[in-house]
Amino acid sequence: MFELIGISPTLLFGQLLIGLINGVFYAMMSLGVAIIFGMLRIGNFVHGAQYMLGAFGAWYLLHLPDFFPGLGLPSLGYWWALAIVPFFVALIGAGMERLFIRRVYDLEHAYGLLLTVGLAMVIEGLFNVAYGAGGQQYAIPDSLKGGVNLGFMFLPIYRLWVIVAGILVCFATWFVIERTKLGAYLRAATENPDLVRAFGINVPRMLMLTYAFGVGLAGLAGVMAAPIYQVSPQMGQAFIITIFAVVVIGGMGSIFGAIATGLMLGLIEGLTKVFWPQAAATVIFVIMAIVLVLRPAGLFGKETVAYHGSDISAARPGSILENGRLWLIVFAVAGTILPFFVYPVFGMKILCLALFACAYNLIFGYVGLLAFGHAAFYGASAYVAAHSAAVLGLPTELAILSGVAMATAIGALFGWLAIRRQGLYFAMITLALAQIVYFYAIQASWTHGEDGIQSVPRGRLFGLVDLNDTMNMYFFVLAVFLIGFAAIYRIVRSPFGQVLKSIRENEQRAVSLGYSTDRFKLIAFTLSAGLAGLAGGTKAIVFQIASLADLYFMTSADALLMTLIGGVGTLLGPVVGAIVVVTMQTQFATLGAWVIVVQGSTFVLCVLFLRKGIVGTFEDFLASREERRRRQAAKVEPAASAGLSAKGLHG
Amino acid sequence: MSAAPAADDWIVEASGLSKRFSGFAAVSDVDLQVRRHSIHALIGPNGAGKTTVFNLITKFLAPSAGRILYNGEDITGESPARVARRGIVRSFQISAIFPRMSVADNVRIALQRPLGTSFHFWKSQCTLDSLRQRVDELLDAVGLVDQREQPAAGLPYGRKRALEFATTLALQPELMLLDEPTSGLGHEDVDRIAELIRKVSANRTILMVEHNLSVVARLADTITVLARGRVLAEGPYDRISADPRVIEAYIGGADDQRA
Amino acid sequence: MTSALEIAELHGWYGDSKALHGMEFEIGRGEVVTLLGRNGAGKTTTLRAIMGLLRKKSGQIRFRGEDIAGRMPEYVARRGIAYCPEERGIFSSLTVEENLLLPPVVAEGGLPLADILDLFPNLAERRASQGTKLSGGEQQMLAIARILRTGATLLLLDEPTEGLAPVIVRQIGTVIARLKERGFTVLLVEQNFRFAARLADRHYIVEHGRVVDRIAANDVAGSLDRIEAYLKV
Repeated sequence: MFELIGISPTLLFGQLLIGLINGVFYAMMSLGVAIIFGMLRIGNFVHGAQYMLGAFGAWYLLHLPDFFPGLGLPSLGYWWALAIVPFFVALIGAGMERLFIRRVYDLEHAYGLLLTVGLAMVIEGLFNVAYGAGGQQYAIPDSLKGGVNLGFMFLPIYRLWVIVAGILVCFATWFVIERTKLGAYLRAATENPDLVRAFGINVPRMLMLTYAFGVGLAGLAGVMAAPIYQVSPQMGQAFIITIFAVVVIGGMGSIFGAIATGLMLGLIEGLTKVFWPQAAATVIFVIMAIVLVLRPAGLFGKETVAYHGSDISAARPGSILENGRLWLIVFAVAGTILPFFVYPVFGMKILCLALFACAYNLIFGYVGLLAFGHAAFYGASAYVAAHSAAVLGLPTELAILSGVAMATAIGALFGWLAIRRQGLYFAMITLALAQIVYFYAIQASWTHGEDGIQSVPRGRLFGLVDLNDTMNMYFFVLAVFLIGFAAIYRIVRSPFGQVLKSIRENEQRAVSLGYSTDRFKLIAFTLSAGLAGLAGGTKAIVFQIASLADLYFMTSADALLMTLIGGVGTLLGPVVGAIVVVTMQTQFATLGAWVIVVQGSTFVLCVLFLRKGIVGTFEDFLASREERRRRQAAKVEPAASAGLSAKGLHG
Repeated sequence: MSAAPAADDWIVEASGLSKRFSGFAAVSDVDLQVRRHSIHALIGPNGAGKTTVFNLITKFLAPSAGRILYNGEDITGESPARVARRGIVRSFQISAIFPRMSVADNVRIALQRPLGTSFHFWKSQCTLDSLRQRVDELLDAVGLVDQREQPAAGLPYGRKRALEFATTLALQPELMLLDEPTSGLGHEDVDRIAELIRKVSANRTILMVEHNLSVVARLADTITVLARGRVLAEGPYDRISADPRVIEAYIGGADDQRA
Repeated sequence: MTSALEIAELHGWYGDSKALHGMEFEIGRGEVVTLLGRNGAGKTTTLRAIMGLLRKKSGQIRFRGEDIAGRMPEYVARRGIAYCPEERGIFSSLTVEENLLLPPVVAEGGLPLADILDLFPNLAERRASQGTKLSGGEQQMLAIARILRTGATLLLLDEPTEGLAPVIVRQIGTVIARLKERGFTVLLVEQNFRFAARLADRHYIVEHGRVVDRIAANDVAGSLDRIEAYLKV
C-alpha cells in the first residue's frame, strides 16, 4: 500500500514518531501557556526560556563535579534531573512572578507580553554569553538506551518513554484541574478571582503557584528534551512562537483542547515532513491561519469576542510635542546638519528604524492593537527591494516601491486574518503569521537562505543622483523619512484618524455610531505594514543587504521596544526611541553577546518603571507644570475662594 | 412615498425574541412593537432583561430566537454598525464617551459619518471644520458649549451623560434607544435630560429603559413592563401604575405577605 | 445585645466617583438587618466595602470589635463573614457540587451538608450539572447554600430575590428565617420591601451613599407611606 504512493513505511512511521514526540512537547508546553494565560492573563513569552532552563538544569546536574571541583559532588544523572530540575525551575518561576509579573496584572495585556519578552531576552542572552550559540550534548540515560524492532521500524526506547511519560503528565494535569478540589479553586479563580478571594482563598498566592506550576511543566519538558534535541540557549526561542500558534489553534478555556491540539499538530507536522518536506516548518502556522478563518475562537475555544483595545497612549492632545508641522521642520533642519556631526551611516540607521517605529506606532499607539509581527513587512520589503535592485535591475526608487507593494499586500492579508481578534491574541497571531514569512525566506532559493541577498546596488535615483555617494544616499533617506513621518501625521490627523482614535477610546461606542470598526482597523494595519515596508526597502538599499535578521521576530521586538522607550501613541516617541535604541546598539556593540541582555533588561525596566516612555514622561511633566501655573493664576485672581481648593484634594 | 397604514405604524416589530446565556434565559419570547414617533419606555425590576432587549435590537447581542423588523425590513442578521447606519442609535448605561477626545470632537465624530469621508486617510481633518456650527448647536442644546475644548474625561458625571446624548442626537437617528438616560444624575440634570428627550422626540421615535418612574410618567406614551425576561404588562402610565402585577414586581407582592 | 458589625464614617470610591458618603449603621449578633434603597444608592458598594473588595475607602468597619477596614477579602472571609453577591457568582466551569463545596470552612459551627441539602432539595438532585445550567432561582439557592457550610457567622446577601418568581422568593424567605433561628447574623440588601419586612429586625434606608432613615420592625406598619416614598420615585 505504501509503495503505491511511493513512501516507504520506515520513513512514514519514523516521521510519525518524531511528530508524536514533538506533539508531546507541544502539548506539555501549550498546556502551561494556556493555564498561565487563563489564570493570570499573561502571554508567557518567557516559557521557551524556562524550557531551556530545564534542559540546562539537567546538563548542569550531570556536570556538577566539573563546576564545583573541590566539593566532591556526585554527577547526578537523568532520573535525578527529572526529579529535581522541574521543581527548581518552578521555584525560579515563582521568584519571577513575585518580582516582575505580579506588577503587571492590573495593566493592559500588552505590558505582560512585553515584560516576558524582555525576561526571555535576558535569560537567553545570559546563556548565550556563557555558552555561545552552540549546543551541548546530553546522553540518553543507560536505562533507556536501545530500542525495539517493530518489524516495519526501529523504535528507540527513550522516545517511547518520552511519549508515554509526556502523555501521562498531561493527563495528570488535566485530572488535577478538572477533577480535584484544587482544580476547582483554579477554575473558579479564572472566572471570578474577586469572589474566590471573598470566600477566604488567598488568590495572589494561588496565582504565584499556578505560574510556578506552568513554568515547572516547561522545565520538565526541557529535561525530557535534553537527550533528544541539543541543549542550547536558543532551543526555546523559536519554539515559543510555535507554542503560541498551538494555543491559538486550540483556543482558550479547554485543558483537554490544549493537549489534543498539541499532539495532533505534532502528528500533522510529521506527516507533512513525509509528503511535502518544504512545508513542514510552516504547516502549523498555516493551519492557524485556516482555523482563524473558519473558527476564530479556536478548535476547542469558548472565548467570545469582546470589544477591547489597549489604550496605552501617552500623548496629551494639544501639546506642543504633538504638533507635527513644527516637528517636521525641526527634523528637516536637524536631519540636514546631522551628517556633519555623526557618521552618515549611523544617521541613516536611525532614520530607517525611526520610520519603522513610527509605522508600528500607527497601529499599536493610535489604534491600540498589539501587533507583534511587523518584522514580516519590514523584512519582506527588504528582500523584494533587494531582489528587484540586484537581480531584476530595477531602478532604486522602483525597487523600494515594489518592496512597499509587497509589504502592503502581506499586511492586508495578515490583517484580514488577525483583525477579528484582540489583545494578546492579536499579538500571538501576528507573531505566528510573521513566522511563515521567516521560514519561507529560509527555504526559498531567491532569498539565498542564511546568506541573504548581498551586494545590493544602490543605483541612481531617477537615473540622475548617484546614491553610492554617502551624502546623496543620506539625504535620500532623510527625504524618505520625512515623507513617511508626514504621511503618518496626516493619517492620524485625518477624518479617518479621528475614527481610529474613537475606536481606541471606546470601540463599542464607535460601533453604535455606525462605524464598522474592523474595516478601519484593517486599513490602519495595512497602512502601517506599507510604511514599515518603506522603512525595510530603504534599509535594504542603504545597507545593500536583505537578511534573515530583518524577518526574525527580534526585529518586531525592536519596533516594540523603540515605541515603548520613546512613548506609545506619541508623535515623537518612536523617533526618540529609535535614537536611543540605535545608540545603545552601537555603544554596546563591543559587548558582543551582551547586547541582547542589555536590550532585554531595557524592556523589563521600561515596563516596570517607564511605561509612558521618555516622551510620555516628559509630557506628564509639562502637563503638571501647566496645571501648577493655571492654579497659581486662579489663586491670584479670586483671592477669596482659593484657600482650600488650591491645596488640591487628590485623595 | 406611501407609508404603511397609519393606525399600526410600527417602526420596530420584534417577535418571539429570546436570549439565553449558558443555560440562563435572560429574555424569553418577548414581543415588542414600537409605534412610530412615540416615546416608548421599558421598565421593570433589576434583572428583568431590559438592557438585554436593547442589546438584541441594536444587534450587540445575537438573539437565540426571534425576529426583529425595522420599518418592515428584517434586521435580525445584521451587524451592529449596519443597524446604526439604518438610523437606530443607542446610548449606553455607563456613559459612553471618548474620554481623551475633546467635548467638541466627541460630537464631531458622529457628525462626520454622513460626510462619507471617514475612510479618507489622506485628507486633513480641517475638512471637518465645516461641522463646527452643527457641533456648537448640539453642544448648546445640552449646555456644554463652554466646555467644547475640554477633554471629555474631565467632565462631571452628569455632563458626560449630556455629552453622550448630544453625540447620539448628532446622528439624527430615526429611532433613538436610551439606556437609563437619567441614572446617577442629580435632580437638576434629570429635569434637563427629560426636557431634552421631550424636545428631540418630535419626528422621532424613542425607546428608553428607565428606572426613574416620574420621568417615565412624564414622557412615555407607552410603557412595557418586563419581569424575569418576559413582558408583564403594556399600556399607558395610568393603567400600568394601577396594575397589581406591576406593583407586585416592584415592591413585592401582596402574595408574599401571606407566606 | 453585643454588636456583630459596626460601620462608622464609611466613605468609598469607584475610581474617581464617590459612592459612599459616610455610611453608618450597626447589626447585633443574631439579627437580620436590611439595607433598603433605590438602584445606585450604595448598598452593594457597602457590602463590597465590608468584604474588602472595595479598595478605595476610609472609615471604620468593626466586626466583633476588630477593625477590618484595611483588610484583604481573604482575611475578612477567614474572620467569619460570607458574601453572596447580587450577580450570584455561580461558576460555569464548576458543577453544582463543586460550587457548593468551593468556599473553604473557616470556623466550626457551619451547617452540615445534609442540613443544607435539606433546606435546598433541588440542589441535591442536580449535583452533577454545570453550575450555570441551573434556573435563576436554583442558582440563587446555590449561591446562598454554599456560604452556609463555612462557619461564617455574618452573611451578606445582596438582593437574593432579584428577578425570581414569587414562589421562589417565598422559599428564600423561609430559608432566611431558618438561618436566623440558627443564630446567623444576616445583612440583607433588598429592593423588595415586602419581602424584607417579614424578615428583618430593623431597616436602614440608604440614599446617596449614606443612611438617611432607620425603621425598627415594629414601626414598619406605621411608616409604610414614608417607606414607599423612599423606594418609589
